[in-house]
Amino acid sequence: MTEITTTAASDRPAAIRLTTRQREAIAGVLFVAPDAIGLMLFIGLPMLLALGISVFEVDGFGGFKFVGLANYSKMWIDPLFWSSLRVTAQFTVMLVPLLYVTGLGLALLVQRTSKFNTVMRSMFFAPQMVSLVVVALVWQLMVVDKLGVLTRFAASIGLGGISFLGDPNLALFTVTLAAVWFLMGFYMLIFLGGLQDIPKEYYEAARIDGAGATQSFWFITLPLLRPTSFFVLLVSAVAAITGAQAFDLIYVMTRGGPANSTALLISYIYQQAFQYSAFGYAAALATLLVVLLMAVTVFFFLLTRGGRFDYE
Amino acid sequence: MTTTSNMPSGWSRRSILKGGAALGAAGLTMPFMGKAFAQDNTLSFWQFYAPGGDVKPQVDWFVKMVADWNATQSEQVALEYVVGSEYIGGTKLATSFASGQGPDIFIISPGDFLRYYNGGVLQDLTPAIEEAARADFPESVIANRMVDGKIFGVPMEVEPMAFYYSVKAFEEAGLNENDVPTTWDQLLEVGKKLTTAERYGVLFETNPGYYQNFTWYPFMWQGGGEFQSAEGKSAFDSPATVQALKLWQDAVNSGAAPRQMLGGGGGDIVANLGSGYCAMQNVGIWGISAMDNNAPDVPYGIFKLPVPTGGKYVTVGGGWAFVANSKGKNPEAAAKFIAWALASMAPDSIQRVVDWCTVAKSDMPPRNSALTAGGDAFNKGNMGIFGTQIHPGTRAEPRVPPEVYKIISDAIQQTQLGGADPQATATAASQQLDAFLASYSGAPIL
Amino acid sequence: MSTNLSRSQANVVRLVWMLVAAVLAVMAIFPLLYMLSIAFKGPTEVFKSNLIPAKPVFDNFVYVLTEVPFWRYLINTFVISAVVTVVALFFHTMAGYALARLRFPGREVVFLAMFSTFLVSLPVIIVPLFILVRSMGMLNSYAGLIVPAVFNAFGIFLLRQYYLSLPKELEEAAVIDGAGYWRISTSVILPLSRPIIAALAILFFLANWNSFLWPLTVASDQNLWVVQVAIANFKSQYAASWNYTMAASTIVAVPMLVLFVIFQRQIMDSIKTSGLKG
Repeated sequence: MTEITTTAASDRPAAIRLTTRQREAIAGVLFVAPDAIGLMLFIGLPMLLALGISVFEVDGFGGFKFVGLANYSKMWIDPLFWSSLRVTAQFTVMLVPLLYVTGLGLALLVQRTSKFNTVMRSMFFAPQMVSLVVVALVWQLMVVDKLGVLTRFAASIGLGGISFLGDPNLALFTVTLAAVWFLMGFYMLIFLGGLQDIPKEYYEAARIDGAGATQSFWFITLPLLRPTSFFVLLVSAVAAITGAQAFDLIYVMTRGGPANSTALLISYIYQQAFQYSAFGYAAALATLLVVLLMAVTVFFFLLTRGGRFDYE
Repeated sequence: MTTTSNMPSGWSRRSILKGGAALGAAGLTMPFMGKAFAQDNTLSFWQFYAPGGDVKPQVDWFVKMVADWNATQSEQVALEYVVGSEYIGGTKLATSFASGQGPDIFIISPGDFLRYYNGGVLQDLTPAIEEAARADFPESVIANRMVDGKIFGVPMEVEPMAFYYSVKAFEEAGLNENDVPTTWDQLLEVGKKLTTAERYGVLFETNPGYYQNFTWYPFMWQGGGEFQSAEGKSAFDSPATVQALKLWQDAVNSGAAPRQMLGGGGGDIVANLGSGYCAMQNVGIWGISAMDNNAPDVPYGIFKLPVPTGGKYVTVGGGWAFVANSKGKNPEAAAKFIAWALASMAPDSIQRVVDWCTVAKSDMPPRNSALTAGGDAFNKGNMGIFGTQIHPGTRAEPRVPPEVYKIISDAIQQTQLGGADPQATATAASQQLDAFLASYSGAPIL
Repeated sequence: MSTNLSRSQANVVRLVWMLVAAVLAVMAIFPLLYMLSIAFKGPTEVFKSNLIPAKPVFDNFVYVLTEVPFWRYLINTFVISAVVTVVALFFHTMAGYALARLRFPGREVVFLAMFSTFLVSLPVIIVPLFILVRSMGMLNSYAGLIVPAVFNAFGIFLLRQYYLSLPKELEEAAVIDGAGYWRISTSVILPLSRPIIAALAILFFLANWNSFLWPLTVASDQNLWVVQVAIANFKSQYAASWNYTMAASTIVAVPMLVLFVIFQRQIMDSIKTSGLKG
């Protein structure tokens, strides 16, 4: 870390005297540099390359042909692309609110510090400890036709003959439930962090004013949690759209079926690239995915004034 | 997919790389370029069996083969193991080829043949294979590895599809081995009889994928259906295709077949038949060793695929093949290795095929001489049922481009699980097929 | 309303609250009990839906720990996760601090650019990343497994939010004393960020402990395998030894659970998504 020692050295009288402002700027740049370079090299550059490929027809075996925007125009007439986009939208619309409600709900449930709650928190977070392949397999077993625990439960409340993963109208919902179960502990943690930032005095004051628990929640907790909420919504929306966790779950649970009902955009990109070797088209699809995510992020950043997530 | 390999294209992999490097990390990446492309000359052989595999006889077979070769030849071969699920459905092989450093020797299934052939990476093995050995491979086994009379892959095994049934489930339903279904109607009927509150009567693969298509083709063929006519047009919209789609749909709609599989899917017999989830399962020959090794206390029987009214028995035979990378370090040596290993008339080559299909796996051999040399191994017991009854009607797994696979897969999924009308689905799929075939310019689809 | 009554009411509410939490918590770990159950089942019993194994066996654990070099994979995974975590925290605390507290030109742009890398998922960039790492000569090496895993916008973001929430006065005093930024960062800021570092350490370690796709892609040498790759290897072409998979997954999950129980207090205290106190 030679650069940094240089900065430290420049604090002492040196040949060139810098103003406080300049020293701060130099230190800032040097401090950010390792991460900035690393992110640029290992994520930014590969991403640019991946996007660059989208104007080529690539056969996956070293053959390249410049095709301009052909891969993009192909998308418009590709029914599987539209279907995967629709599935991604449905998944996001289900996952994000469900995660928000369960994450916040669990956090409120166990926010008080006690031995009991310590155990509860660990139990809610426990699903995060196993890999998604295991999660998918266990869920597959719990919802399997006829014999699964949840299938039997459904039958006992009058939903006999239900197929959680084999019915195109239900499969995505089932996968979403598994994803919520896996992720809820993580968002609970984030909300617990947020809840602890709310000064206790606010609640005291509200109680003295005669406000009940419900009113405290709506008029103190929820507004003061706004930064945390923004963060949770943004991160979960990005996770849903990139299919970060869903991809593995779906691969084991349904392979995108039945009848493409769980084929997310990321699964379709993966299929085009690695199963069909159509890397050019896959790159064009990935570009679209990134544009979608950018739109979501810009929306959140505008809403939060440059990502400060402050509440004032 | 068009054949881009022969295209006089100015955009080579290296120029893309250079362009990419110039984008940001020129200083960092360029000095290492030469080093990365100049490796030693050992031929790498990628597969999912050895040395990291779980099944010892399979590991031993591969290790011994390579050791025998390396002991006598100057071009050395080294086994490189890839985790099976990743080799088949993962990114590893595609990533290595896309980045310009594919293995020298590797194995592929018929489902992947056209992707690699049309990508221009399959080496012509014909010059390395003597004529007598060429004739030793039955047409039904070698045809889908050939283009224009040249051999591009040497099959290591034939894995025909059949039905397995649980003896216990049959007994519980008051049935015995004489009630084994021989027609589709009987299959559905027996399937319903075997269905209980805890068990499904009959099981067809439900997960979409190459494997599901593979298991569905014989039902289409049995009524005389094809997905492509001799003129290269779609033949998908036919009564035979519609009735095959309808069979699978009826099985699910009648409640006799499940909509979801356990474990690894329809090919995983221990997870489904072995666990008692179903009473009859559509599985290939590998089911024998799977059941014998992992569910020894579950008695089972085997019967060949039932036929539709007026239909003719046929089943499908899968299996993987050795291929050489024409862009590899020494494609000629790789071809020689493959011919020596699996396609020479030397006794040790024939015995190697026998060993693979009997000791390492329970499969049918792809060579006539190996079938003879194996003798009783292919005639007795459960293997004998395959050898004498099931295998003689085997047709090779079709080789189709990914686009065709997907059209057929969607048709199966929409009818089987989506409840779509079989006739309407076949018509729509046929139109899609025609549209694709009109623009297809790769090697013949078989 | 008498205070006595409201106190007992409060107790009832609390009890109901605890009951609800307990029921939900049991539901939350229920699927994990299946994992544990299968880990003790023989191969034919795996797919029976009974939760209590009819004939519990310990063979799966024995197999995983003796027939497979699983210890080696555990050690690999531990070393990789630990190094990634330490190096990442070192870089991320510096970057987070600078992004939160130091004014330099282009700061907002850099932050936005860094954050945007959060939108990229691995399957999308895996081929170019593989080429890049290969051309740097890092295939089949610990470096290849570790270096690309270090850089992660999520951690930088959380650290920045945490530093925004710290009172400014602390470092202002140090600035007046004439301390350099490196010294402020190490002797003022770092000690203050102990809780968030503990929290992120767990999260980073956990993420790398369970990572699969990148280790699989970059290392084909079996001596460099990580646990998730080894677990995936229990699956063959058509079938899988799920009993081994579950036994191995249990072995892998237990240390993480213990770690979490120990450190969960710090984790909770330190995850700041707001700049509220700043």
